[in-house]
Amino acid sequence: MGFDISVTQGSDEATVKLSGELDAAAAPKLKETVEKVAGAKPKRLVFDVSALEFMASAGLRVLIFAKQKMGAGVSLYVIGSKGPVLNTLTMSGFHHSVILQDTYKPLE
Amino acid sequence: METRSVPAVLESLAEIRRFVKDAAGRARIEDSRTYQLQLAVDEIATNIILYGYKDAGEGAVISIGAERTGDALVITLKDQSPPFDPRTMQMPEALDIAMPLEERKVGGLGIYLAFQGVDRFEYRHEEGSNLNIFEVRSGHD
Repeated sequence: MGFDISVTQGSDEATVKLSGELDAAAAPKLKETVEKVAGAKPKRLVFDVSALEFMASAGLRVLIFAKQKMGAGVSLYVIGSKGPVLNTLTMSGFHHSVILQDTYKPLE
Repeated sequence: METRSVPAVLESLAEIRRFVKDAAGRARIEDSRTYQLQLAVDEIATNIILYGYKDAGEGAVISIGAERTGDALVITLKDQSPPFDPRTMQMPEALDIAMPLEERKVGGLGIYLAFQGVDRFEYRHEEGSNLNIFEVRSGHD
């Protein structure tokens, strides 16, 4: 199964598409990507998780890291979460801090 | 009881989840509950690998067992790292869960998800081994 990341850098936002299984073995790779993407100072950081089949708390911790790294002024979007991945996000209270959408529509 | 031993490294997590999924399939556990069980076992196994076996050299192993009793499936993780009862770990409270991410503490989330995902969690220390025991019952969602 494994885990894959692809990054699309727009003018205002960076989109990070995740697929496969995001566990503690895969999380460092995502953290590295977030660090790289943060360097370009996007206004919005978009995680497309529509092809993500598993996410452990190690994945949640990368989202926390991203928010803390980018600062409160940068909005985090999580796009296409469904089923158990969505369940994990809401159970952990992440719907209070990230913008959950089916498809990406920038809010501002 | 069916058992398997894997090296105590993060790269074994996928195999551990696969083992749980196969056992849950045979026990006719619903898909959503199977996922929660996989997540619970994955989180505790991650803690064992990253913290329990932190100072262990090569050759450290985790064994995983699956057993059916009635309509329940019991998964057991067994390891020989120092005694640690995950139930003693401080978990995020309702207040933390509602906190903005930028102010969050990052600890305890995995254990929190693990306990939420199963019908019963038990820990025992026996003959030098940690036993982390997860139980789910089929037939309700």
